[in-house]
Amino acid sequence: MTTPRISRHLISVVRGLALTALAVAEALAFLLHMAAFVPGFGLGLVFLLPGPIVATRRVPNLARRLAGAWGGVDIPEPYRPAPPPPVPGPDGLYVRDRQLYKTPRVPAFMARLDWVLGDRATWRDLRWLLIDPVVGGVLAGAPAALVAAGIWYAVTGVHANWWAVPLGLLVILAGLAVAPALLWVHARWTRLMLRPLVHGPAAERRWRWVGERFIVLVRLLALAVLTLLGFPLAVLMLLVFALAVVLGLIVLFPPVVEQVRLLANLRRRLAGRWSGVEVASPYLPRPAPPDRRPDGLFQVGRHLYKSPRVVAYNQRLIWMRRDPATWRDFGWQLTDPIVGGLLLLLPLGAIGYGIWGLALPRALTLVGLKPDTGADWYGAVAGSAAAAVPVGLALAVLGVLVAPAALRWHGRWTRLLLAPTARSQLALRVQRLTETRADAVEVQAAELRRIERDLHDGAQARLVAMGLTLGAIEHLLDRDPAAARALLAEARESSAKALGELRDLVRGIHPPVLAERGLGDAIRALALDTPLPAEVRVDLPGRLPSPVESAVYFAVSEVLTNAVKHARATWVSVELRHTDELLRITVHDDGQGGADPARGSGLRGLQRRLATFDGTIEVNSPAGGPTTVILEVPCALSSPKTSTS
Amino acid sequence: MRLVLAEDLYLLREGLSRLLAAHGFDVVAAVETGPELLRALIDLRPDVAVVDVRLPPTQTDEGLQAALAARREVPGLPVLVLSQHVEQLYARELLADGTGGVGYLLKDRVFAADQFVDAVRRVAAGGTAMDPEVIAKLLAGTTRAEPLQRLTPRERDVLELMGEGRSNVAIAQRLYLSESAVGKHIASIFSKLGLAPSDDDNRRVLAVLAYLNADSR
Repeated sequence: MTTPRISRHLISVVRGLALTALAVAEALAFLLHMAAFVPGFGLGLVFLLPGPIVATRRVPNLARRLAGAWGGVDIPEPYRPAPPPPVPGPDGLYVRDRQLYKTPRVPAFMARLDWVLGDRATWRDLRWLLIDPVVGGVLAGAPAALVAAGIWYAVTGVHANWWAVPLGLLVILAGLAVAPALLWVHARWTRLMLRPLVHGPAAERRWRWVGERFIVLVRLLALAVLTLLGFPLAVLMLLVFALAVVLGLIVLFPPVVEQVRLLANLRRRLAGRWSGVEVASPYLPRPAPPDRRPDGLFQVGRHLYKSPRVVAYNQRLIWMRRDPATWRDFGWQLTDPIVGGLLLLLPLGAIGYGIWGLALPRALTLVGLKPDTGADWYGAVAGSAAAAVPVGLALAVLGVLVAPAALRWHGRWTRLLLAPTARSQLALRVQRLTETRADAVEVQAAELRRIERDLHDGAQARLVAMGLTLGAIEHLLDRDPAAARALLAEARESSAKALGELRDLVRGIHPPVLAERGLGDAIRALALDTPLPAEVRVDLPGRLPSPVESAVYFAVSEVLTNAVKHARATWVSVELRHTDELLRITVHDDGQGGADPARGSGLRGLQRRLATFDGTIEVNSPAGGPTTVILEVPCALSSPKTSTS
Repeated sequence: MRLVLAEDLYLLREGLSRLLAAHGFDVVAAVETGPELLRALIDLRPDVAVVDVRLPPTQTDEGLQAALAARREVPGLPVLVLSQHVEQLYARELLADGTGGVGYLLKDRVFAADQFVDAVRRVAAGGTAMDPEVIAKLLAGTTRAEPLQRLTPRERDVLELMGEGRSNVAIAQRLYLSESAVGKHIASIFSKLGLAPSDDDNRRVLAVLAYLNADSR
């Protein structure tokens, strides 16, 4: 009976050694991960990531198997199943994250990346790779280490002391004795770290709650830092004011105003993103520089200037001074450190004081790491140190609970002073309407001029020519019938050409297919006429107001023409969708990109024409890359068209 | 031959009626609106119908929709559609069911009475009559450009006329070729485009049009 037992212990020792070797491999695997992570996450070379991670999953899997074989615990693999290969849509393209791809390579890679990085098991494996070499290595290697230590001690100490050999033998026996038990513990430890973890919904909620609170605290901290930065700016502002009022030095006024606006805009954005309170920008738009008057001078208000630079400066000054938002910004800059700071201080201060002021010092004193000097306020509540820890912790918990509300109220406070007033919103809207109305009137006048010109040069001219020919025919009918017949053929051809030109003109005013079928089919017809392979997807459950249809049709027509002429694309896709009272058209081509509204006048003209409907155009066209143009027009659908077929 | 005419402009309706009657057609009904046209087509079952795309009451594509509906009820009902403008989209819809007896012409073509009447007769016989402008646009589409570029200019001319639905004889007359030369060109076209040859005029025209229509759009 003893022999199998001893062999069992010996086997356990050997297995322990094997697991120690595995622990070394784990450490190496961890280093490999880090080596992939640094360029992968740090430099953005994400293509390095999935490969090493999936490959090194072999190490924890081996540990799981060994724990099952040697330790008797079964640890199933916790990994999510690999994603299926991407399936192309009916158009042959692959969809991923609202973008279309021609080959499945990129979508497959991105799915794999999500699969690996989104699996919690990956990160738990990483944690295990870091910790286990220490813990598991010790657990597994202890028996072998004891045996080795015993042998070494016996061998080296045999000459010095008489008890070296027995002691050494004792240590060896101890190592052999504990080997199976430590192996058992190691297996349980491995299971603790590597088993699939299924969080119940309650646990999920708890973790999410903690994560959210943490983010809120970080944001409060960031806002507090920003508020602190506002202090010197407020002081500077008052100084500049004093200089301007007392000494008349207004030269510093515009730069300070710009700085304040910068900070205010940042705070508006953060209020929107972090507090969920949207704050629009209230500033009046920059005025256009004035034109030269006939006498060569520039006029700004009631002053005349010679040099345009001074004009620009003065205009800027007046623009800032007249804008009530500037003064509200100043008021905000002075009051925010007080009110806003207070709002931020409540939760942060509660947490800070609760932990660092009360609980921690008292705890350290209790443990003995801090000498009890009897300091009566630090680490004590109302003179007594007994209640410090519970009160401190309670304060901290209170702070954490209050934090989200504080963030929201901070956003509301920001909106109070930094949002546009109803009056300024109205003024901005009136200005925008004035601009777009002028644009609309100008566009219409240009259209009418074009129609008049085309009619005059085209159809009218042809009809005149035809009348002349008919007159000649009348003249020649008796005298030279053969010539008359030839002229008749010519007259018929003239009328056909006139019809053709009128057809083209009508198409440029309001395409017949648009009137007959609506926007969806009109764009399909447009796509058919484009020399490129074009693909159209339409999701319009009804018909749109006629002027919107017309404007959108010509806009898409122009974008398609650009794709053909300038982008040298090989295919183009158009998608129409109407949701939430907003019509959105996406035109995508794989050309060479580089479209920029600031440079070409075509896109700028499109912007202006769509602006009369409060529509927007967004161009995403990196140089060399594919181009995507998104048109958005708010409009309501009429009742769904009843099919006549 | 019994014919139904649908056109809402009075002058044009009268003119076409007289023109067709003069060429031997029996105009059994001359209607003005979409619903009337659909009833006339289904009840009277004419040998051919000449239909304007745009008809009251909606002044959209009533005529086209009525023609398509009637052809679903009466498969192969010959219909010649006239329009002030030609759209590839409508041509595809007319050709979608693959049966012959369909035509799509610009209204300008009625100026040349002989050609127009010839087109009507072709459609009545189950053939096709597609406007040259539509064929030109179909040929200009680039998804099939590569094989089309392998055709010689002569073959392209033959292909265009074939797409309009003309017979070998008519093509030979138009291009001043002999019928056998036309036949050889057609065989060469079919082999270059990878289409199965067919002696049936209608079927080969439909094959060509289906070829030009079909792409990944």
